[in-house]
Amino acid sequence: MSTFGALRRQLDDAAETFAGSPGALSEILTGMVDDVDRALGERLEIFPVCHHSPASALAMARRLRDKQPQVIYLELCEDLRPLLDELRTCRLPVALQAFATELDGFPESWGPLSVVAPITEASAEYQAIAYALDTPGVELVLVDRSSDHVFQWHPREEPGRPAEEAALHGDAVGVEIGDLRPRFAELEEHLLHHGKVRHWSEWWDQYVEQPLAGADYDTYRQVMVLIGGLFRRLRPHDAAKLDRDEDRERHMWTRMREHLAATGADPERCLYVCGAFHAASRVEEFGLDAARTDFEISPRTATNWLYGLIPSSHSAIEAQFGLAPGSVSIAAATYDKAVSRGGVKPYTLKGQQKGRRPGTKPPAAPVAVADQLSEFLSKPAQRDPLDEAELLGWCVDIVRLARRNGYLSSTADAIAVYETSILLAGMRGRARPTLYDFQDAAVTCIEKDTVPGRRDVRRLCEIMLGGDRIGEVGYQSMPPLAQDVFERLAPLGYDMTKRAVHRVLLDLNADPELEPCSHLLWVLRRLMPEHAVRPIMGSRRLGERSVQESWDVALGHHQRALIELGYEGVTVEQVLEQRLRRSVWEPKATAADALQAVEEAILFLGGRRFTDELGARAVELLAAERSVDDAPDVLRRVRRLLAHYRATEPALPEWCERFVTTGYAQYCTLLPTAFVAEDVGVRQVAAMLGFLASMESLALSLGCDRAQLELAVRQSHPETPGKIALLWAARFQLGVLTIGELRERCAELLANPLVVPSFPQYLSGFVQALEAAPVLTPFVVEVISGAFARLPDEVLLPWLPTLIQTLREEAPELVPVLIREAGRTFPATLTAVDAWVPPWTAPSGPGGAEVATATGAGAAGGPVTGLLAAHPAAADALAALLGCEGGWKTLTPAGSAPGHDASGGSPEVAALVARHPATVDAVAALLCGGAAV
Amino acid sequence: MTEMLRAPAEVKYAEELDWLESVDDGPKPFSWRLSPRMVRLFVLGSERSDGLDREIPQKWFGDRSFVERAIVTLASDRGLLLIGDPGTGKSWLAELLAAAISRNSTLVVQGTAGTTEDHIKYSWNVSMVIAKGQSRDSMIPSPIMTAMEHGVIGRFEELTRSTSDVQDALISILSEKYVSIPELDDDNIVFAQPGFSIIATANSRDRGVNDLSSALKRRFNFVRIPVVTNKKSEAEIVRFRTVELLRRHNIDLELPPTLLDILLRSFADLRAAAASAQSDDGRLESALSTAEQIGVLEDAILHSNFFGDRTLKAETLAGSLVGSLARRTPEDLAILNKYWHGVVEPRSKKEGGEWQGFLEGGRQAIATLS
Repeated sequence: MSTFGALRRQLDDAAETFAGSPGALSEILTGMVDDVDRALGERLEIFPVCHHSPASALAMARRLRDKQPQVIYLELCEDLRPLLDELRTCRLPVALQAFATELDGFPESWGPLSVVAPITEASAEYQAIAYALDTPGVELVLVDRSSDHVFQWHPREEPGRPAEEAALHGDAVGVEIGDLRPRFAELEEHLLHHGKVRHWSEWWDQYVEQPLAGADYDTYRQVMVLIGGLFRRLRPHDAAKLDRDEDRERHMWTRMREHLAATGADPERCLYVCGAFHAASRVEEFGLDAARTDFEISPRTATNWLYGLIPSSHSAIEAQFGLAPGSVSIAAATYDKAVSRGGVKPYTLKGQQKGRRPGTKPPAAPVAVADQLSEFLSKPAQRDPLDEAELLGWCVDIVRLARRNGYLSSTADAIAVYETSILLAGMRGRARPTLYDFQDAAVTCIEKDTVPGRRDVRRLCEIMLGGDRIGEVGYQSMPPLAQDVFERLAPLGYDMTKRAVHRVLLDLNADPELEPCSHLLWVLRRLMPEHAVRPIMGSRRLGERSVQESWDVALGHHQRALIELGYEGVTVEQVLEQRLRRSVWEPKATAADALQAVEEAILFLGGRRFTDELGARAVELLAAERSVDDAPDVLRRVRRLLAHYRATEPALPEWCERFVTTGYAQYCTLLPTAFVAEDVGVRQVAAMLGFLASMESLALSLGCDRAQLELAVRQSHPETPGKIALLWAARFQLGVLTIGELRERCAELLANPLVVPSFPQYLSGFVQALEAAPVLTPFVVEVISGAFARLPDEVLLPWLPTLIQTLREEAPELVPVLIREAGRTFPATLTAVDAWVPPWTAPSGPGGAEVATATGAGAAGGPVTGLLAAHPAAADALAALLGCEGGWKTLTPAGSAPGHDASGGSPEVAALVARHPATVDAVAALLCGGAAV
Repeated sequence: MTEMLRAPAEVKYAEELDWLESVDDGPKPFSWRLSPRMVRLFVLGSERSDGLDREIPQKWFGDRSFVERAIVTLASDRGLLLIGDPGTGKSWLAELLAAAISRNSTLVVQGTAGTTEDHIKYSWNVSMVIAKGQSRDSMIPSPIMTAMEHGVIGRFEELTRSTSDVQDALISILSEKYVSIPELDDDNIVFAQPGFSIIATANSRDRGVNDLSSALKRRFNFVRIPVVTNKKSEAEIVRFRTVELLRRHNIDLELPPTLLDILLRSFADLRAAAASAQSDDGRLESALSTAEQIGVLEDAILHSNFFGDRTLKAETLAGSLVGSLARRTPEDLAILNKYWHGVVEPRSKKEGGEWQGFLEGGRQAIATLS
């Protein structure tokens, strides 16, 4: 007859009474007792725990002091062991992290892989870790599957990561010791409904945590295994296949047996700490004396795992493991209270203490297991009596906190909260109000119709009970990169560990020694999430240098991101270099990406070698490109880079020259296709033409042939209006089309009512063409003005929104150019409008050149003429070079010059000028000033 | 007892309350007829685990903690203010609580713009005053004063609808727990007996019409009742209330589950539409509460009973829904028209069944109203 025989019989009877026959129910009920029997009968002492359970933590502390084990086996990924020593320098909660970007054997889409195991102070595992690390001679062995196996055992068809958001943990997969929760929703719902509680944490607190608070070790163990057995038996049939729990148990037992065999440790002096769920395991490998099975631990993949500690917080843990908000904080508060009440002294990691060696105490003789369960299950739980002082303290504190947060609460409220807490607890069958009762009471009495501040009473209660504790990883435990960043930012005199946002001001003129800090901040800005470092003032672009900068730095808040950067390299520069290199060698990389990488390498890294390497790759990518989608980007970037190199270096880098020649040849080749292809936009073609036109002189000097471009343009036969306009502009640029012909064509378009609706597209083409032929700006202004003047209102008005939209969408950077030109063309004042004649309709002579001559004659006598007359050699040489024949004209004083220009010498004009001398004086002053400059 | 159109909860559930009182061995605060746990059980219904010999049906559907907080408030020194959108069951909960605690839920003051201090305290029977002078006999106590005298729960419906000065008359009642009658020379103070408390309700949509003063807020514990959005519990509520109404009207009519489902889904759709609307014009004027659904269903049932063939049809339900929700023309009608053609029509094609009749009935109703 086993220890639990009486209990089994009782449960059998109960099964018969409730289910009618001792069938499945009996199997479950007595099975649970069997689980307890087996777990407690095992030679290796099993310590069942539940996560975030103060009772577990306290029982662990008591048991460790009592037993002083020499080896502790812990249910935690075995490859995380080296990290545990680093916990000394951290403020909990922190999370142990395994991280991998270089995957092997896992789908690429899963990467980067990340596993986090949060550690809080109020947990049994922390007690075990602290004891083992601070007690010399004690070995701590992690026995659960490695991080690699977490993913190896992950079902392939599902995405590799859970969807929930956990602010501090990112999207890592969480692992936790002692996950003890019903494995299907209906059971949990049932328990909550009949337990008359709102969420799982409250159920646990009321039905397990509190009754176990003062329980002895045997009762604790038996109850925990019983609950583990219950959840284990009540779960969907196929769960075992999915959650790999049994594989983990096999893994743990195999590892423990291996360790015992290798070290020869005495099982009596060992302790196996695992979740209660695993304590009730029924796998064949269970127990030290189990027969060998064919279970083999599969080898790890070649994935390169990196390890580190990242800060964690109560709320991140709650979010990741689906716990009710505030439950971890409440568990921490309960634990702190139990500790302060005395009775048990918990272990804490405090540097390497020279504690006494274990083993001075002889191992206690194994005590026969006595049935504590029957009593526990049949008697109402022994609850703590009302702790009046504590409850009063809470009431006063919450009222004070509420007042600070804008509530009109007073002492009367404190009294009401006190009374309501007790009444609520009484109604819910508790002698002593729990924190949940207190929270409800505070909400009832203090919360009114609106929340005056940012936080409501429920949140204030959580804050009062310790709030969301956020961990911090100590400097020593940080990866070299993070340490390096903190060291290099030290001149800014800011405590990088503070979580608040810190404003940093850099006056780089006054303190040039801060230049490296500014540089580092820019690199961090490039590498880290948006709000980690944010420039308020100052910018970093090619050809710019900030004199003053101001930054919002929140590195303390983004410690995790910084630590994860540390997995990629030893310094931020190295990480950036790797990332840039990776970006240009990606299969999808384009020439524009490579040029961007070059730009960033110049800005953040300097050094010719690396930029040349990236540049060479850009040339390769450009030559291999068959699409011109990125042409606008390429043009913008290469222009910027050329300008940069021309301004800073004696000669262009070799890759730049190759880029220009390759681009010239490439775009010439692609131009005819691009003109007709439907999927290539006007903007792209314009950018190609822009490249060809603006790089032409450089390309020709490097050996390209202009005939290639001429042929390409001749081969182009676009059909869409926008591209036709572009082609005209290109032909004008090549000198094939004159401005007069262009003007004529536009006039024809405007005159043809069938084409008028597509005129905006022509217009958009002309605007885009400015990229390639900036000299056309006055013409474009003319065309737009012509359209406004000639179109009837019924056509023009519905057009205008389209026009604005077309300009805004397709030529945002060219609009200012147009506006400037329009400003030059149109009169500035209202009065001048009446007399204004558009330049393009102004009566002109037989040819443009003669008009120019006439204008020149009209301006005779100015300082420019004087200058030219005084030094004729330069003009003569230019004229000879251009093949311009004709000599110098003799100057006569203005106003009296006879000649073919009637306006120059007309008495009306002279009279007008004499009547209004101010204008002429102003112009003269302007010209003189200009000449002086 | 004479027949009543609608019996108050304490009459309707008298037998159940008697039984609960007979088995209740828990501690009872003041002069309460039931212990707080039994009050909770009366409101929320019993379960097997409660170990009672008979089943107590659930009467109010909502979160358990709201009821617990409300009961506990009544056992404390403060008044209870139930706040929430119209149709969320505030008054029903108040009635149930008053019936369970003091077996009298009829001591009600209805807050309106015309409510005066007399309605809260006392007024005088003028002819008696002329005949006999001012005395306790010629005084007409308000329901609240009566509740004080008997140590029972008084109710104040729509507290924020009455003006601020009237509301503030409650301050001294809730603090000092007595009302003085200065007109009388002796016996001029009415003290509240133990067990007296006030359950007030306020409509969160009208908040700000006559906002409560801080002094009064302080004397009330607020329990906010949210709109029921859980489909299962909403179906429960609608069925529960409708059955009750049918019984009241002595109508023997089956409520087909498919029609109930159509009603619930339509309301859920319209709520979602209201939530995503940009302006008030895109939102129905109705709060689309559970009570509104009950109203629609009741209307449809009565219509089928008296003008139809005594079976509830989807067409009738649609007509009743349009009729109840189209309050503003053209805005509400336009929204309903959009809903009918954008949601109901495709659904009737896809799912068929009763939705087709619902589509037809709705179309006709909209056409008639347009």
